[in-house]
Amino acid sequence: MTMTDPVPVPTAPASVFLRTPRRLFTSLEGVFHEEVFFLILSVFIGIFSGLAVVCFRLAIDWTHLALLGPLPHSHNWRMFAVPSLAGLVVAVLVMRVFPGIRGSGVNQTKAALYIFNGFIPFRTAVGKFICAALAIGSGQSLGPEDPSLQIGASIASALGRQLEISREKLRLMAPVGAAAGLAAAFNAPISAVLFVIEEVIGRWSAGILGSVVLSAVSSVVIVRWFLGSEPLFRIPVTTFKRPTELVAYAVLGIVGGLASVAFAKSIGYLRPRLKALPRWTQYFQPALAGLLVGLIGFLGAPQVMGAGYDAMDQAMHGQFGWKLLAILALLKILATTLSFVSGTPGGMFAPTLFIGAMLGGAVGDVERIFFPHLTGSTGTYVLIGMGVLFAGFLRVPMTSVFMVLEVSGNYEIVVPVIVANTFAYLVSRSLQAIPIFDLLTRQDGLILPSLEEAREETILRVEDAMLAVPKTILNAQDYVDAAARRVQDSPEPAFLVRMHPSGWNTVSRDQLQRLFQEGKGEHTLVSVLPPQTLPSLYPDLPLDAALRYVNDYPLVPVVNRANSHQLEGVISRDSVFQKYGQK
Amino acid sequence: MSRDFATRLSQQLSQFVPHSAPLVLLVLTLAAAVAFAAVSHLVTRFNANQQARGRKLYAEGMADANAHRFDDAIAAFRAALTCDPSDSQYQLSLARALRDSNDPRRLDEAESYLVALWQRTPQDAAVNLALARVAAHRGDIEDATRYYHNAMYGVWNSDSDSNRRHVRIELIQFLLKRNASARAESEIIALAASLPPDPALHLQTAQLFAQVQDYSNALSQYQEVLRLDSTNPVAFAGAGESAYRLSDYNAAERYLRDAVTANPENANSRQLLDSVGLVLDSNPYRSHISDAERNRRIVAAFAQAGNRLTECAQQLGIDLNPSRSGGQSGSVNPPLDSADSSASPLLALQLRWSAMKPSLMRLRTPRETDLPDSIIDLVFQIEQRTASSCGPPQGFDQALLLISQRRQAAGQ
Repeated sequence: MTMTDPVPVPTAPASVFLRTPRRLFTSLEGVFHEEVFFLILSVFIGIFSGLAVVCFRLAIDWTHLALLGPLPHSHNWRMFAVPSLAGLVVAVLVMRVFPGIRGSGVNQTKAALYIFNGFIPFRTAVGKFICAALAIGSGQSLGPEDPSLQIGASIASALGRQLEISREKLRLMAPVGAAAGLAAAFNAPISAVLFVIEEVIGRWSAGILGSVVLSAVSSVVIVRWFLGSEPLFRIPVTTFKRPTELVAYAVLGIVGGLASVAFAKSIGYLRPRLKALPRWTQYFQPALAGLLVGLIGFLGAPQVMGAGYDAMDQAMHGQFGWKLLAILALLKILATTLSFVSGTPGGMFAPTLFIGAMLGGAVGDVERIFFPHLTGSTGTYVLIGMGVLFAGFLRVPMTSVFMVLEVSGNYEIVVPVIVANTFAYLVSRSLQAIPIFDLLTRQDGLILPSLEEAREETILRVEDAMLAVPKTILNAQDYVDAAARRVQDSPEPAFLVRMHPSGWNTVSRDQLQRLFQEGKGEHTLVSVLPPQTLPSLYPDLPLDAALRYVNDYPLVPVVNRANSHQLEGVISRDSVFQKYGQK
Repeated sequence: MSRDFATRLSQQLSQFVPHSAPLVLLVLTLAAAVAFAAVSHLVTRFNANQQARGRKLYAEGMADANAHRFDDAIAAFRAALTCDPSDSQYQLSLARALRDSNDPRRLDEAESYLVALWQRTPQDAAVNLALARVAAHRGDIEDATRYYHNAMYGVWNSDSDSNRRHVRIELIQFLLKRNASARAESEIIALAASLPPDPALHLQTAQLFAQVQDYSNALSQYQEVLRLDSTNPVAFAGAGESAYRLSDYNAAERYLRDAVTANPENANSRQLLDSVGLVLDSNPYRSHISDAERNRRIVAAFAQAGNRLTECAQQLGIDLNPSRSGGQSGSVNPPLDSADSSASPLLALQLRWSAMKPSLMRLRTPRETDLPDSIIDLVFQIEQRTASSCGPPQGFDQALLLISQRRQAAGQ
């Protein structure tokens, strides 16, 4: 061994342990490219959101017990004192410490996706947690689901920012967190995923679907781990026996649609007017709303206070007569409108379900008075009523159907649910052009896309701007002089050339004349034209797809999807612009 | 200023954020584990508080339910359930209170709670019993029977034999109330087969047998009671009545006499004893009586039957005497429709009775061996016919009717 020889270093066991994780990490780096990392991150978002929602629900329960006691009943001074005093505290917190947490949180999450590059301050989650727990626990007529959605979105956004993920992914973090928060609050992952797609994202996007599903499922697992898998209300036996009874459910859909419009219009009318009042009044608006809501409870309807799941449970089991059900539905519309327009943080999911449940029960009972042969139980009408208001008020038709099915676990009533929800949706849409969440967003000065708009938007397609198959189509083996003679009398400036064995090219009249003058009359077109193949379009493609080509080529062939040799027509720049101009 | 601080803090924190994906996931896993543990601790404490509160509310609810303040009990149980929604005892108690509140609208909710409990523990006898009672409230015999049986064969936490017996007795009483006597009788037979040597239980079983008119089994049970408690006045009375219904008048007389001795105030036993006495004293077929006594009883019975026939005809407005009705024998007063169908048999019996009357003188003649039976047969026919036309008789007539029924049963 010379002095230059490398000295063998004995490998100590400790260094093996130190090096192994490093090697492991290095090899894992290659596995975790951004897509996979984002998916795994979605699971963590679900876990953290689920944990936050568990704490949120405990906070609401604890506040409720501490402020209203375990047995709240009418004619107790706490019923009107507590919501108004809590309203004062909430107002101060909202005005001074946590600005931007007013309302439900769905719009803010949507705005984060489309306007603020996925940014939702973490302070929002903290503020929403505290203020919504205080408001709902003290009896304000609001629900915990929308705040949970915003808390989840806020956690996801904060996590994304801390991990410095790409802007594109950061933008998607909010809906992923929103799905987790909503799924945890609702204990219903499918409905949460659909709602986020229908209302928050506003479009179907395969790229985000996997992450949304993963986060929703993991948050539900967390909530069920801690709070059990008991549903929000016990579902009675629900049946659908005779198809003729669909008429009864259609009537429920129409009544629910009208109630949805009344509810949405009252919020849409009052909210901007209260916001326009002097700033100092906003310190007292939640307190005043709390006082009025508490007064309703004090005078004999404590069911309308808070989220109201217990009352929904009782309605589902036929505990209330139709008159009381109808009164509770009206009072809940009033109470929720007051609580929401006052700027108290809280959601509208639970109140919507409450109103739908009571209305459904009332309509069902009345229908059975006139038609005693109807077989649907009160519980069936209550359950379908919930979906009806969801479809009519929140204007999320798909979510409304799946929500009822997921909550009830009963597919037997799927047809009545679809029928009733469709009627409610149609009635609501015909009487109230703008859905409630879009209305609230516009009142806040923001214009955000919605799936409903997208659904109703007329999409121009290639076939709308397509010109008929040209009379003159040249072949690649045609000679230039023969081709020039063929196009001599044709008014078109450019012509399609059919290539062999497949494909298309174009040649202009000027180009043919120039080739002829250059003495290339005896040459075939394929030998003189530049070796290019025209892109082909299909008739059903959006017209936007044609815009990519019409500047580069005078004519673009439109071919049949089943047979690419069969020409259906052509697209030119003029025809495309003309069509857009007409629109 | 606080916002600046938050921004600076966030920037400083971000310096520590790992940028290697595996490391990030490791940190996130650790953070999730810590958060999970913290929330777990929080939930455990919250649940402990809630459970304590739930137990207190449950105790209040039980006190209200025991005092039949069902509305208060329901509110307390509901509040207890909000503290611990998974507690099956709270759910069961709420369901019971809802069921017992006598509000038919609450039965659905009660059933919903119970069905949910039943799905979790279908073998739980208490849940099945509660479901059976809900079905019984609804008058649903099939469901009630099914759940009562489930309760009988289900798991009881304590004193299972006694509980099962009480459930069966409750089922029997429900079936009797719904007039399902055949089902009730089979349940009573099953009950009797498993009774411990307890006079009170045997007495109750005997009374249940008597309710379904199974007097033979009822008598056996009463005798069992008397074997265990030889001075039980209710058992004497019951045994006497059962023997009376079985036409065992000698046994009936014995038991009823003991019953009256043990409880002189027992009017029913006394009345039955009188009736039994009449039967025994007027029965011409009674053993160990002389021919003269037998003939005397036959003559007395014949005379009584004639009187009964006349009274019944008068009651129905039928004139059995042709000389007083303008020469037409057996004329019927027009308004009495019921007399139309009764007149002809009564007249026929009257003719036979009149024709038989002179033959009474031949009773002592040794050659007339069939005559006593012919006379008594006519007496029994008269008693049976008048009983169906004019209602149940009293006194001597009743005794004759009972003797006729016993003879008929013995003949069959």
